[in-house]
Amino acid sequence: MSSHREAPAVSQDPVADNADTYAFVSPDDPTTVTIITNYVPLEGPPGGPNFFEFGDDVLYSIYVDNDGDALPEITYQFRFHTTYQNPNTFLYNTGPIGSLADPNWNKRQLYSVSVIRSRASGKTQSHAKDGKGTVLAGNLACPPCNVGPRSTPNYAGLAAAAVHQLPSGETVFAGQRSDGFFVDLGAIFDLGDIRPIQNLHLIPTPASPSVDPLKSMNVHAIAIKVPISKLTKDGSVPSDPMSAIAVLGIWGGASRRKVQVRDGASVKESGPWVQVSRLGNPLFNEVIVPVGHKDRWNALDPIQDAEFVQYVKQPELAKLLPVLYPGAFPNLKGLTADRADLEAILLTGIPSGVIPGFQNFTGKAPADMLRLNVAVPPAKSPNALGVVGGDFAGFPNGRRVFDDVVSIELKAVAGATYPLVAPSYTPDAAIAAVSSYLTPSSDRYQSTFPYLGVPHDGYDTPSS
Amino acid sequence: MERLSRRSFVKVAGAATGAAALAAAPPLAHAAAGDDAEEIHPTAGVPEEPVVAYVRDVERGEVTVTAGTVERTYRDRALVRRLLRAGGVK
Repeated sequence: MSSHREAPAVSQDPVADNADTYAFVSPDDPTTVTIITNYVPLEGPPGGPNFFEFGDDVLYSIYVDNDGDALPEITYQFRFHTTYQNPNTFLYNTGPIGSLADPNWNKRQLYSVSVIRSRASGKTQSHAKDGKGTVLAGNLACPPCNVGPRSTPNYAGLAAAAVHQLPSGETVFAGQRSDGFFVDLGAIFDLGDIRPIQNLHLIPTPASPSVDPLKSMNVHAIAIKVPISKLTKDGSVPSDPMSAIAVLGIWGGASRRKVQVRDGASVKESGPWVQVSRLGNPLFNEVIVPVGHKDRWNALDPIQDAEFVQYVKQPELAKLLPVLYPGAFPNLKGLTADRADLEAILLTGIPSGVIPGFQNFTGKAPADMLRLNVAVPPAKSPNALGVVGGDFAGFPNGRRVFDDVVSIELKAVAGATYPLVAPSYTPDAAIAAVSSYLTPSSDRYQSTFPYLGVPHDGYDTPSS
Repeated sequence: MERLSRRSFVKVAGAATGAAALAAAPPLAHAAAGDDAEEIHPTAGVPEEPVVAYVRDVERGEVTVTAGTVERTYRDRALVRRLLRAGGVK
């Protein structure tokens, strides 16, 4: 999946597993950018009595590079702490939760937001200030999890109350939401099957519709809406998409303290924060990086991504497709050159002159970041295929919650974008059949911050 | 936190009640003399921010210390020997 359980170590640590990162110009507030990082992938909605939450012992970070050096000039960090109203009951709530201050809500989580602004330079990313940023706000309430109609009868109202306006100008939300990512998970990890064209697979089965197992699952989202002027290098709100100042590099990360000492029921910690998960582009660590290197990738910073360029230039998946779908990808099979198109999409941004009227180039240094050109306004009629579909406001120009990144990246890896750097190359006709074959329902998302939809409640999901 | 020297590290570690292995360490001069520490049952819980030391490389005599969010590595063969003895490592 995008980055759900994508690496061996973090797959054992859901609260620190950065499952998706999104960054886009807010469609209802286009002078701002919204950044969302999701954690706790594959939440089953009925997961009580200890419903899902963020890690009190995890430092969650959102990084923004505004000068193209793959180092963050702005870092937002989030720390959580859990409290109990009544430790002498097993219940998550002792009655209906009518508000964020309702005494019936037993186990609740609060958080702080801080910011680190730095003039980063050099060849490595400093983490010396991690956890020591300027506190913008503290004791902000998360909403409860969506338990069911008796416990959280007005869930949308609870979630709306957990949208906080900070005195510094940002808007934040942290809590459970519906997972916006969609993919036929069961098929794709069954030897690269793509329903409904599994009859063309090397091991064929009868054609049947694509399945979206994530449509009934939740995640925990950290969302922040920031005025563009607080993110750009010169404090401007760029309007020229061809201006370098308009492009931001954005990624998320989660860190844990280096040492944990268990002492009976408690755990004490010592040492610096150590990164255990990160994510810029969807599917980068999941599909590009080999399993033996995934944990290391999570521990490194984007500025250190040069050692992974080889896997982008020669992606394993591009070699697998002609094998798994015999005869369907003859041109891809013969494509042995390095994939400069994928390097641009995933590691440097697309330079000017490749796509008329668009660029999100951040420089030659390879780094996995979402690259958002903030001068591209939100689309009036968005296309989930983003730039591939002619909609420059979508992936890989940042990433919106509804972007069909599986289809986009499958098509790109299959050769659809190679003509951008080699015009004589003819993509295989089968690329038209490479797709997620999924259209998420509209209630998966919402039109206002935090844009991911109301989480599925545990009483009704699954429904049978 | 102030920069840790070997001397100040031992001072800090010794002051942290119930801290990890080095909390019970006597001054280094004493350690170098080869006296063993007295093994006891802990008299307190682990402090909220324990100072922790671990032997990183026996052959090179390297010890890493974490205190707060600071981590430093020292070359101190005598300290390594003492920690190994305290840990029952032959």
